[in-house]
Amino acid sequence: MERRGRILFVLLLMGLGFSLVALRLVYLQVYQRTALASRAERQQERLVKIEPKRGTIYDRTGRELAVSLDVDSAYGVPAEIDNPRQLAKQLSLILREDPHALEKRLSSDKRFVWLSRKMAPGRAEKVKELGSKEIGIRLESRRFYPKKTLAGPVLGFTGMDNEGLEGLERAYDKALRGVDGWLLAEKDAVGRTVFPGGPGFQYKLPKPGHDIVLTIDEVIQHIADKELDAAVQTARAKGGVCIVMNPQTAEVLALSVRTTGHSRPAFNPNEPQRSKPGEWRNRAVTDAFEPGSIFKAVLAAAALEEKIVHPLERFDCSAGKIQVADRVISDAHKNGVLTFTDVIAESSNVGTIKVALRLGKERFARYITAFGFGRKTGIDIPGEIPGLLKDQRLWSGVSIGSISIGQEIGVTPIQMATAYCAFANGGTLMKPYIVSEIVDRGGSEGKKFKPVPVARAISPETCTKVNKMLQRVVETGTGQKARPAGYTAAGKTGTAQKIDQKTGGYSKKDYVSSFVGFAPASSPKLVVLVMIDTPEGVIYGGSIAAPVFKAVAEQSLAYLQVPSDDSGGRMLLVGR
Amino acid sequence: MTTRVNDIGSFVFERGRRGSVRRVLAVLLIVTGLMLYVGGKVRIVSLGYQIEALEREKREVERANRSLLIEASSLTSPARIEEIAVKRLGMVRPPKENVVVVKRKNAQQR
Repeated sequence: MERRGRILFVLLLMGLGFSLVALRLVYLQVYQRTALASRAERQQERLVKIEPKRGTIYDRTGRELAVSLDVDSAYGVPAEIDNPRQLAKQLSLILREDPHALEKRLSSDKRFVWLSRKMAPGRAEKVKELGSKEIGIRLESRRFYPKKTLAGPVLGFTGMDNEGLEGLERAYDKALRGVDGWLLAEKDAVGRTVFPGGPGFQYKLPKPGHDIVLTIDEVIQHIADKELDAAVQTARAKGGVCIVMNPQTAEVLALSVRTTGHSRPAFNPNEPQRSKPGEWRNRAVTDAFEPGSIFKAVLAAAALEEKIVHPLERFDCSAGKIQVADRVISDAHKNGVLTFTDVIAESSNVGTIKVALRLGKERFARYITAFGFGRKTGIDIPGEIPGLLKDQRLWSGVSIGSISIGQEIGVTPIQMATAYCAFANGGTLMKPYIVSEIVDRGGSEGKKFKPVPVARAISPETCTKVNKMLQRVVETGTGQKARPAGYTAAGKTGTAQKIDQKTGGYSKKDYVSSFVGFAPASSPKLVVLVMIDTPEGVIYGGSIAAPVFKAVAEQSLAYLQVPSDDSGGRMLLVGR
Repeated sequence: MTTRVNDIGSFVFERGRRGSVRRVLAVLLIVTGLMLYVGGKVRIVSLGYQIEALEREKREVERANRSLLIEASSLTSPARIEEIAVKRLGMVRPPKENVVVVKRKNAQQR
């Protein structure tokens, strides 16, 4: 009986124990189920975001201009850190950051904090050597521009999360970026990520970004960058723009923008923080300037197309000035009687205004619009402005005189280069473009961009006449320093006064010197625009900008193996 | 009586032995099944670690490759080549009179 009692007692105890366990199980599995399941999920599962590879930007020959590379970033888990002060002190020596700022981050109540993103090479190893389980290293994609300053403002740059912030990186962000992927991984007891595999494995692969191929040619871009840089330095200018285009297609072969002035280094997209936000701008499309005499070609084209003047018609410019409404406009230097061709070649304001008055504002305004001024060209660069062009109904009495010599109108460099493409290609205004192809790395076809004619601005016959006049500018006129060795060229010089911000009138010392033209004149292969902002000392376009045109045209044509068309020069062309 | 007892005992014993064998076999079967299951799971986890290690190695190699690509791209930049040609090798652009024209047919712009 005694034995039986003991057995019963033990059984009772066991039953009680099992009952307690069962009750606990019911409590955990039924009442606490939701909370515990989510906690287990948090502790055991990790949603790993998989960043897509950002597409590469290539030049027209397949040379990399912007590439992404995985680099290390350090993060911390503040909730698990016992001594944030000590850890911050150790990390500050490696990361070269303020220990107090690091300590603040490590002491926060967040589950995850970044400590240093996209670190310099070698730092990740040192962080790992600390042996802290609360500090981790994660790979992140970083954008590199291997050619450094080459086409910097054109390419733009990306932000910390690889989003395009400026330039083509911004304009084509959607195509370049790709689509994020993810996978649900498991964590083991020591926090290592285990990829479970098997049928229950949940994941979504990232879609890599598309590559883009530019119309830019790295070599021509380098030539333009180098020559523009030298001119800006020599003239101690505030900046400058040099655009090289294929006149037949309006492809941009080089777009060099110097926004930093002569005293500062050119914008490098690898280090955007070193430049001021204003220096990131692509001034070729975002800034309008009064073109000055390079606009006279538009008046010449309009007048010749309307047949109101003959290239050899003579104009008396001996007075050196002309009254238009209440304003007297003068020539830079006195001329005698000039043919219309020489009016353009010598850049006579008086002769030009006489023709403009004969043309009339309605017809002149029509041609200005036909050449694309006053509206965006539609080039695929962000931030393009339409320039400044008043409706002709709002023109004052002096407007026709001012506009014919390139005042009272604001144009962007890309508008001006595009208009000269029309002079060079027989009169068709084309839509300029800088991306020739979007390549789908997923195997799909992608997208190719082709030349888009916008409208016929003038007839081919008029174009031929204008070209001859513009050739005269280079041969005997104000643009003689633009003549490339071995090639004929046509173009126009410009020296425009800038608006004085204080007085609101034209400045006596600040100018925009420019030259725009094409070569070879007989069969144009390149249009080159050069604009130098606020040069010091010599300010004339024929002296400052024309030599840049010559250098860029000479080197670029030789590089493109364009045969010489001028017996005066000799150029070596080696077949490749 | 003895015989009966022995018979009964033998019967009980044989019946018990057969039952034990079955039980042992059943336990062995279950244990084997469990071991196979656990072994499979362990293998999956182990392969997971291996995959992770290989993935990491692949990433490192790809990263090194991209890094070299960027370096190569940087080293072949026209600015650097021109600087070396002019400053280090003393190369100069040929003067106009020293240049021979070789006209090519179908010279096209790229």
